[in-house]
Amino acid sequence: MHPVLPWLGGIAVLSFLPLITRTAYDQYLLNVIAINVVLAVGLNIVKGFAGQVTVGHVAVMAIGAYASAVFSVHLGLPFWLALPAAMAVCAGVGLLVGIPALRLEGAYLALATLGLAESVRIVISGTEWLGAAMGFEGIPPPHIGGFVMETHFRYYFVVMPIAVMGIYISFAILRSDMGRAFKAIREDQLAAAASGVHVAKFKLIAFVLSALYAGCAGSLKAHMAPGYLNPNDYSLQEMVTLLLMVIFGGIGHIWGAVIGAIAVTIINDLTQDYYTYRMAIFGGVIVLTVMYMPRGIGGMIEDFWVRKRFAALRAATKARQAAP
Amino acid sequence: MNLLEIKGLSKRFGGFRALSGIDLNVRQGAVHGIIGPNGSGKSTLFNMISGVYLPEPGSQIVFNGTDITGKPSHEIARLGVARTFQMLRIFEGMSVIENMMVGHHGLTGYSPLAAVFGVKSVRSEERRVRAEMMELLNFIGLADYAEMPAGEMSGGQRRLLALGRAMAAKPKLLMLDEPGAGLSPTNVDILLDTVRALQQRFGLTVIIIEHILKLVMDTCETVSVLEHGEKIAEGTPAEISADHRVIEAYLGREMKDEEVRDFLRSA
Ligand SMILES: Nc1ncnc2c1ncn2[C@@H]1O[C@H](COP(=O)(O)OP(=O)(O)O)[C@@H](O)[C@H]1O
Ligand SMILES: [Mg+2]
Repeated sequence: MHPVLPWLGGIAVLSFLPLITRTAYDQYLLNVIAINVVLAVGLNIVKGFAGQVTVGHVAVMAIGAYASAVFSVHLGLPFWLALPAAMAVCAGVGLLVGIPALRLEGAYLALATLGLAESVRIVISGTEWLGAAMGFEGIPPPHIGGFVMETHFRYYFVVMPIAVMGIYISFAILRSDMGRAFKAIREDQLAAAASGVHVAKFKLIAFVLSALYAGCAGSLKAHMAPGYLNPNDYSLQEMVTLLLMVIFGGIGHIWGAVIGAIAVTIINDLTQDYYTYRMAIFGGVIVLTVMYMPRGIGGMIEDFWVRKRFAALRAATKARQAAP
Repeated sequence: MNLLEIKGLSKRFGGFRALSGIDLNVRQGAVHGIIGPNGSGKSTLFNMISGVYLPEPGSQIVFNGTDITGKPSHEIARLGVARTFQMLRIFEGMSVIENMMVGHHGLTGYSPLAAVFGVKSVRSEERRVRAEMMELLNFIGLADYAEMPAGEMSGGQRRLLALGRAMAAKPKLLMLDEPGAGLSPTNVDILLDTVRALQQRFGLTVIIIEHILKLVMDTCETVSVLEHGEKIAEGTPAEISADHRVIEAYLGREMKDEEVRDFLRSA
């Protein structure tokens, strides 16, 4: 059986989800969840697998969104071409973001990517032909012939399959030789290099891959009704929300990132009225998660599974060590 | 024939000379020991050979006929140089078998794109790698632990895994940095037996850094002695143990003949 088949089954099952939604707003929320899944799964590649710090992911999404908007509005490209073109632009951006990662680590890298993130937002806010602070309007929805996906219900059948495929690709990468190389870099760069892993190359690939995901998410956001982008949707607050998805879900766990994206998007929506307190709460949850549940929900599930599976083996080892 | 030829190898950290003009030849198929007191530059020597640090001008390292001076680590590894680290540096957040498979990275042949498309050849290649790594784990006695997170292993198991990961690359030269450190005498024997068995089975050349004199004396045919970043002696274990300077370097003071004899008997 080809490994992609179960995922096609997943798409088929998820196709029924909009039927149980009651309002167009619920359907809109489903689409936002799917887009955030793409974003979180992509961030998880660079942060969770390769262990690289970045707080610039939202800025890459912004670049993808605006690139896609420009390609379709100013150059007249259909969505199906604007999407890959925007992703290609973001791949280039990912490469640029990745270069400092070859020299910087930890907090310094966070600062460098933060600088990028804020400057992208500020440049967009000041650029007239990108709509400046007023926002970019009139981005057309995708269409196949005369069939236009302008409703949230129709758009769901664009974003959901892409999100599922994004998860599949992430799994395919994680389970491949390249995924192991990423994790080895996260664990110990010196030992990875001594094992023949080209550390710099794979770091850059990780940044490019996650930028491709961010670009895809950005483009999907741009063409979703009402086809409007605002630079303030790509602020530091959005980055905190995104980090929460990945950290709460469990860094390095693909399903964790998916669960995190779903949970945080819904919580985000439910707490809209408490906007001013939300960031403080999200920030607090991140700190608490890092302190008391550093591997997130995914890590907890894995620990539980590992403990069950290896309890006997470990007991035997302990007994052997205790024996003189 | 020499597998490794080092000439005039020097390394400075700031103003501190960690290695000064080391010449070292390692014969193909040999088990070569490096001894010396703490801080004498043994680990630095490995770090230079494996490309962790850039050597200073005038240094030359030739491996298997290729000049590897100043080459990056991963390229040196792919030419057939594998090593363990004094601090092991196993990938704790990965399973035992994954650790081994990273070790085999340079010999795993498929493109990431093929993996994304789920190509059949990728799956058979993954199966081959996994089977070969299981065989190796079996050889070093860790097959039962293949799926266990490496961070959950005991000290002795970690040392074996570090050895296994290095072997996973099918190296020509295996460099072991204090493989016996912290092990009980029985475990040291197990480890040594494993190294010897691997060496014979795969026709390896081995360099062992060791603190435990007995271990080096029993295993190596040639031993080089470092002190303060210089090679102060080299020879067979018998020659080395008759050399006063070596033992004084170890104990950090001058000794009488009887003392030397006692020390050798006890070590
Ligand atoms: N990266 C480094 N930076 C500065 N000094 C170092 C570094 N690595 C090793 N040294 C110094 O070089 C000397 C030799 O170290 P090392 O090769 O680890 O000794 P050994 O392995 O023989 O105990 C020590 O004095 C150590 O402090
Ligand atoms: Mg050392």
